[in-house]
Amino acid sequence: MAWRNIWRNKLRSSVVIMAVTIGLFGGLAATGIMKGMVVDMVKNTLETQVSNIQIHNKDFMANKEVNFLMKNTSEIISKIKTDPVVAAVSERTKSFGMASTASKGIGVIINGVEPENEKKVTQLFNKIEEENGTYFTSDKKNRIIISENLAKKLNVKLKSKIVITFQDYEGNLTGASFKVEGIYNTHNSMFDEQNVFVKKTDLDRLLNMPENTSHEIAVLLNDFQDTPETVERIKKAVPNYLVEGWYDIDPYLKLTSSLITYMLFIFMSIIMLALGFAIVNTMLMVILERTKELGMIMAIGMNRFKVFKMIMFETSMLAVVGGIVGIVVSILFTWHFGNVGIDISEVAQGFESLGYSSVMHPVLELIDYIEVIIMVIITGIIASIFPTIRALKMKPAEAVRD
Amino acid sequence: MKVIETKELFKTYTETEVEVKAVNGISLSFTEGEFAAIVGPSGCGKTTLLNLLGGLDKPTSGSIIIDGKDISSLSSRQMIDFRMNNIGFVFQAYNLIPVLTAKENAEFIMNLQKKPKAEREARISELFKAIGIEGKENIRPSRLSGGQQQRVAVARALASKPKFILADEPTANLDSKATTELLDIMRKLNEEENITFIFATHDQRVIDRAKRIINLDDGIVVKDETEVV
Ligand SMILES: Nc1ncnc2c1ncn2[C@@H]1O[C@H](COP(=O)(O)OP(=O)(O)OP(=O)(O)O)[C@@H](O)[C@H]1O
Ligand SMILES: [Mg+2]
Repeated sequence: MAWRNIWRNKLRSSVVIMAVTIGLFGGLAATGIMKGMVVDMVKNTLETQVSNIQIHNKDFMANKEVNFLMKNTSEIISKIKTDPVVAAVSERTKSFGMASTASKGIGVIINGVEPENEKKVTQLFNKIEEENGTYFTSDKKNRIIISENLAKKLNVKLKSKIVITFQDYEGNLTGASFKVEGIYNTHNSMFDEQNVFVKKTDLDRLLNMPENTSHEIAVLLNDFQDTPETVERIKKAVPNYLVEGWYDIDPYLKLTSSLITYMLFIFMSIIMLALGFAIVNTMLMVILERTKELGMIMAIGMNRFKVFKMIMFETSMLAVVGGIVGIVVSILFTWHFGNVGIDISEVAQGFESLGYSSVMHPVLELIDYIEVIIMVIITGIIASIFPTIRALKMKPAEAVRD
Repeated sequence: MKVIETKELFKTYTETEVEVKAVNGISLSFTEGEFAAIVGPSGCGKTTLLNLLGGLDKPTSGSIIIDGKDISSLSSRQMIDFRMNNIGFVFQAYNLIPVLTAKENAEFIMNLQKKPKAEREARISELFKAIGIEGKENIRPSRLSGGQQQRVAVARALASKPKFILADEPTANLDSKATTELLDIMRKLNEEENITFIFATHDQRVIDRAKRIINLDDGIVVKDETEVV
């Protein structure tokens, strides 16, 4: 009966159900897109730069000087590799200096990497388009990989020469000429402008680094969710140095990804509140219209509990039907555009500089849907309280009087 | 056998500016098989009295005894169940639930009583035949005439075999043909199945067919005549 009652005023019920549907879809699609962007950004950042865990000399993090290095790194690396959750490890020498051509000089971070290990840990080699060269395939000395952005600024091409100047281990100013072997683009312009890559052997030699040392050890895990526990284990194995998970290395990443969880909640709460009011209003009207009928039903013997259940059901159905439709539409939307992606590069150019991709892949997880379903149910129940109380206050003797 | 009896019944409305003594000391009794009309000018307390008899309202003082039991001692929850099981109601309007079909309306109370399907079906088809609306089972009230709607309401009231039926102005919205038909049906049910009907009305056609006429004025019984057969 309650079900048929919903369809009594088809237009009115449809409008409410539509409102719930659109509200939910709007909220879910918006958070899905935001979440997708953040997940993309986090994944991209972890893959190309941060990896999952990094180890440094404590002082290196404070003042980035070449002297603050880690010793016996090959022993440390073998120790870390025994952990079964570890997928790959690479070590880096880092230095800060100036990249210059005849026309211009720009401050950069010089990353000395071991190409074979680095390829297992970070995906930078994948960020070099075919026509833009290679990732350390040449055995020759002094090859460098720079970003497209930097190449533009320095006005260089593949095979051009760049002079890198920096302080060596003893504090002497030194420099060397490097030949551009590859040009990458991670779509994070801040990172791209700052980072150049050379072979660790080249950089170690130029810096006069002692044997078996480096500035940074990067660890990739099979599943980045295991980071916190693994950090703790590595800390025990490597007590002298600073071991950090990706969330410590790049707190902004962590902040953004936890923020998005609250976003969904806040967003949906506001939408639900508005929808709740719409439902309450509709149901109060419904009850006002049906005063005589409800009075009659109670007069002939339907007890208050059954009336309560009927109104409750009617009210929550408005929320639930709209909720189901809204969620189904959202699932289809996220699924479709999660695969295909939404290209916004036309309208949002500055986007990439923040590390976001200009093709958005909305992401919503089961837990998000469950959260929203629970909110719909709660809204339905809360929204039915007022109409139900109003219905129960009715005195049949008065309602049936003409 | 007495089905309902009132003793020194008073109902005073105090919420209004002037106190209204709608029922002002009424002692009456009805026996099984009566066909009684409570009549009187507008505002004399007919509806108030009927609502008290049906337990829709509580008296200010006095008692109502149905089947030997004082219903003013019942809680409002018990009262609802008591109404469902013992009293049939037919109102002037808004009798039927618009989203249910004629048949579903008629079996509404039997459904609340959780009567088995077979029993419901049998009873409803028997009643629909008796009140002459066979074939209208699956039609919604909005597509029935006023007379047919009132007949469905009578069927619903009768379906659960109540002790008596209270009908407040059941013919007020009907034309004379429908009124005559409805009265014929009720009178027939009264005579053949000994069902007790109590009306509140100022419709002369109802009064003409009543076996007992109770005249009210200002909340008191001024005349109570039973037709002698
Ligand atoms: N809820 C109420 N509050 C206050 N006064 C009421 C209330 N209900 C009825 N009355 C008053 O009680 C008196 C009796 O009313 P009642 O409805 O019983 O009359 P009635 O005989 O049924 O009249 P009618 O023939 O017009 O239906 C009237 O004066 C009416 O104004
Ligand atoms: Mg009246």
